Amino acid sequence: MAAPTLPPGKSIASPQDVVRGFEELGYITDPALATVIFLGIKMGRPFLLEGHAGLGKTEVAKVLARLLGTNLIRLQCYEGLDVNSAVYEWNYQKQLLAIKIEEATTQTVEEKEKHVFSREFLMERPLLQAIQGREASPVLLIDEVDRADEAFEAFLLELLSDFQISIPELGTVRARHVPFVILTSNRSRELSDALKRRCLYHWIEYPNFEKELRIVISRLPGIRQELAKQVVSFVQSVRELHLSKAPGVAETLDWAEALVALGRQKLDPAAVEATLGCLSKSLEDTAKIRNADVEKLIVHAG
Amino acid sequence: MFMPDEIGDQLAEVIVEFCRFVRASGIPAGVKESVAALEAARAVGVADKQTLKAALRAVLCSSKEEWDLFDDLFWLFWRAADREGGQGRKPGQKERALETQSAKALLGLMGSNRSASGEEDRGRAVAGASANERLRKTDFSEVPQSDLHDLEKLALQLLRRMSERLSRRLKIVQLRGQVDLRRTIRRSIGRGGDPIDLAFKGKKLQQDRLVVLLDISGSMNAYSLFLVRFAFALQKYFQRVDTFVFSTQLSEITGTLRGRQLREALKELGDQAQGWSGGTKIGECLREFNQKYGRKLLNRDTLFMILSDGWDTGEPEVLASELAAIRRRVRKLVWLNPLLGLQEYEPITRGMSAALPHVDVFAPAHNLESLLQLERHLARV
Repeated sequence: MAAPTLPPGKSIASPQDVVRGFEELGYITDPALATVIFLGIKMGRPFLLEGHAGLGKTEVAKVLARLLGTNLIRLQCYEGLDVNSAVYEWNYQKQLLAIKIEEATTQTVEEKEKHVFSREFLMERPLLQAIQGREASPVLLIDEVDRADEAFEAFLLELLSDFQISIPELGTVRARHVPFVILTSNRSRELSDALKRRCLYHWIEYPNFEKELRIVISRLPGIRQELAKQVVSFVQSVRELHLSKAPGVAETLDWAEALVALGRQKLDPAAVEATLGCLSKSLEDTAKIRNADVEKLIVHAG
Repeated sequence: MFMPDEIGDQLAEVIVEFCRFVRASGIPAGVKESVAALEAARAVGVADKQTLKAALRAVLCSSKEEWDLFDDLFWLFWRAADREGGQGRKPGQKERALETQSAKALLGLMGSNRSASGEEDRGRAVAGASANERLRKTDFSEVPQSDLHDLEKLALQLLRRMSERLSRRLKIVQLRGQVDLRRTIRRSIGRGGDPIDLAFKGKKLQQDRLVVLLDISGSMNAYSLFLVRFAFALQKYFQRVDTFVFSTQLSEITGTLRGRQLREALKELGDQAQGWSGGTKIGECLREFNQKYGRKLLNRDTLFMILSDGWDTGEPEVLASELAAIRRRVRKLVWLNPLLGLQEYEPITRGMSAALPHVDVFAPAHNLESLLQLERHLARV
């Protein structure tokens, strides 16, 4: 299998380069994730990121594309996703019009058919776009692959090994530059062994206090140090409460942003109560947080 | 970051040894993975153990469970390797022997001893229509030994017919579909673009799955053994049927049912179940199911069926929350309770009342008639 090609002038020589590059773009990684990304680039293997929602799985792809200076092509998976919406589709309306317009011409049926099924009428969907990178390999993000059905997964597996797509009316399209592929999954179901074995695997954990604090400060430069610390330690304790949906980093950021927008300098029970909706996404979870005694969860500095 | 050949060879040896080591602990590191692991190790170098760990882990693991296992294995191996100067610890012979032993015991439990009984009934004449009618309505736990064979035969026959009926209905529905624009346009070219021949898309084949959990504690025995027949007959209709039995613990019997004589499998299950007594821990068993099999077996095409009288000696909250978790992921959750066949029965046991809010269909399953009536719940449309 051909390996993805980096854009001219770009080089990534070690996991540390990845850490640095990502940090410059505002994404705090840890060495383990950076190693996986580095290997993915170096070995030309797709990588599979699993973990709870809101921990920046999707963000990895976006930042990687910016770091490499290539396009990001995103395929959002959902139940019932089929080849028509993932790979290509013909532009039927345009085809019908073209047939009408050409009615009066002297072209034979074969010529008309050839015209109507030419590139002009082809609508490229993400997977077809991804194998047609012109100058360099794009980053292909296949988001929430666990939501697609197993049949689609099998198709994906085939694509990931050959990087070619055959269109009956046009012929086979081969990748000029094999894309960097990132798959994400929320583990709502188990993926097939074959697909998992093709990929490098990384499980994204909730960040520890220091890392999460760095993330908050780097994403919200205007936030007061004390508030940021309180927010992060509050969220870290909330994660211990076994909620049905524990808050991810995305929720931490939302919440911190909300508090800043409300002009809060530090955390108090009233502020928590007013903004609890940022952290908890269900009635039961909200009740659990309240029962855990909000006052106790707030760490007071000094 | 390339290293001289000599060191490279040594590295290859250690990596291969490491792969063999993790394989013994259940991480599927085959030849392909070993090669990839070596490539990864070469790419990051071995100087920094944390980076090396991250690299090998990315290549060799493919799930959270393996990932969790990996850290310990890695340090165990490399510490030993450092001590012994490059030679990894050999995988524990003892542990492996233990594993094989318990696997064998389990196989024995599931049974591969042929049973010779059950053949003497063969000469019996098929009972008349009214007798059949009676059998259909007899409670499974009250079927006299002499009628058992007839009932079995009738059950298989009727259940099979039901299964065929279900499949046929599915096919008819599949005929209706959306207009396939792509092929329609293609056909219309020869007619100046007027779509005269409409082409239709076949409806996507539904991949139905059935998961059955059978309570085999004490009094549930007779009923469960009949539901096994039910599951067996439905194999035709469902693309996949997974069957489990539980009392205080859960065990999978899908393999026992597959590709064997039903009679034989039943006999063994019966023998096996007899030895199990004590209370039922439905909640705990469901939790175990969710943890071990949930991701693999539950999705929107799954029909989840549980047979139990709801006498739960565990915590009702556990039962309720695990059941809710299952229901969120499946198409339909059916709870069969043989006691529902009794006129005076009301589902007021703690377990049953905890379970009811999370159940789509609550139905009796005390006789053949009631099983046949499940047909309408099984049909997809």
